[in-house]
Amino acid sequence: MKTIKVTLNVNNEKIILQVKPYETLLETLRERLSLTGAKESCSLGSCGACTVLVNGTPVRSCLILTPEVDGATITTIEGLKDKEKLHPLQHAFMEKGAVQCGFCTPGMIMTAKALLDRNKKPEKKDIIKTISSNICRCTGYKKIIEAVEEVSKTSG
Amino acid sequence: MILPKFDYKKARTVEEAQELYNKYNGNAVYLAGGTDLVPLIKLRLFQPQVVIDLKGIDELTGVRKTNNSLVIGPNTTLFELKQHPFIKDYLPCLFESLEATSCETLQMRGTIGGNILQNTRCLQYNKSLEWRTARGFCLKMGGSVCNVAPNSKSCFSNYCGDNAPSLMTLDAKAKLVGPKGERTVRLEKLFSDDGRAPFSIKPGEILKEIILPFKKTKGVYEKLTVRGSIDYPLVGVAVTVKNNDAKVAVTGIGPSPRLYELKEIDEKSINDVADWACEDAKPVSNAVLTPSYRKKMVGVLIKRAFKKIASGGSR
Repeated sequence: MKTIKVTLNVNNEKIILQVKPYETLLETLRERLSLTGAKESCSLGSCGACTVLVNGTPVRSCLILTPEVDGATITTIEGLKDKEKLHPLQHAFMEKGAVQCGFCTPGMIMTAKALLDRNKKPEKKDIIKTISSNICRCTGYKKIIEAVEEVSKTSG
Repeated sequence: MILPKFDYKKARTVEEAQELYNKYNGNAVYLAGGTDLVPLIKLRLFQPQVVIDLKGIDELTGVRKTNNSLVIGPNTTLFELKQHPFIKDYLPCLFESLEATSCETLQMRGTIGGNILQNTRCLQYNKSLEWRTARGFCLKMGGSVCNVAPNSKSCFSNYCGDNAPSLMTLDAKAKLVGPKGERTVRLEKLFSDDGRAPFSIKPGEILKEIILPFKKTKGVYEKLTVRGSIDYPLVGVAVTVKNNDAKVAVTGIGPSPRLYELKEIDEKSINDVADWACEDAKPVSNAVLTPSYRKKMVGVLIKRAFKKIASGGSR
């Protein structure tokens, strides 16, 4: 199979790659770019552990072929912090103890970020609805919801 | 899970997509959102030589209103469609089924066309190749027996789309474009009622438009699931009321949604259609709840839906 040339903007860095036509975005991020924040869990789109933003929209990167997103802007959990300063969501997750085993956390934060980007002051029911896209097998949802609420309260 | 090897091609026009389909002698699949297709390929249920991406075809995207109908491009994502101002006010049944589909993130990727044309599911089918090889291939995989009902010669896999039933109650039509030109059929005619090949779509045909009469309706969608999010319907019931007649569609049991009509809306007609649909439903042990419970819930959900419409409420 011929490889395909793709241009991606990953966490504000322009990257040109030759990828396999059957390569998922998750594989490209983890194996070619060493961005291991997004996790592979179910691999079938059910769990949300691999969530990243493509042009600002949260997607399951395990279900996307890298050639599909040629030219897109990709944001992963590694791209959230501003130099050494954590993103408010990352900070709130730490403060509220919204991390147990941590496997779902990158996906949870990316899903929550997409919500806060389109709605700065979501109601609790909106947060629950959005977060229900992702599965936390430690079932630590309450703290996760509190962390997102905290950011929505404190943001301008 | 690693994908098997295939080529990837992005089509810019419907004609180009069909040329590619022919070039690979039909050993090809069309890709829209990929939320149904990619897991099927990962599980080796489909092993195409090429994946033809339809997302670059502009004419397949967007919602437009003509004189008395609403034309939906099949590449419109479920999330975009849900937020369209007409949908919530005029077609509440569709709004509720869109809202009930999977979860927000998958709604943002999954398209309405892909959602309608999703493959049927079965606990014995949606498994890894190793699992299926050990168990023995069933009818849907080209084997000679059904692994759920061994004496049966037909496939009992369930159609689990949330939105096709609500579109059927809204008298939707599908415009398909194929090598021999365009054809428009009622949405229910897309279903073959054979779980092995659930759609009566000809090789290479592409869903081009979904056309709905634009009329204010009342409706609800009721869905039985184990979890509140992400799950497929174990039973789904769509009800739309127009003037003094109603349409009911049942999904989640068997290879195609079933459509019922009510000429009058009174207690007797509602009980009759609930009994009739319940009698019609032939669930088998191929989902996570027992067949007898799912069968009973068909009637319960139909009555519940009419009660909600009568009280003017929604989900």
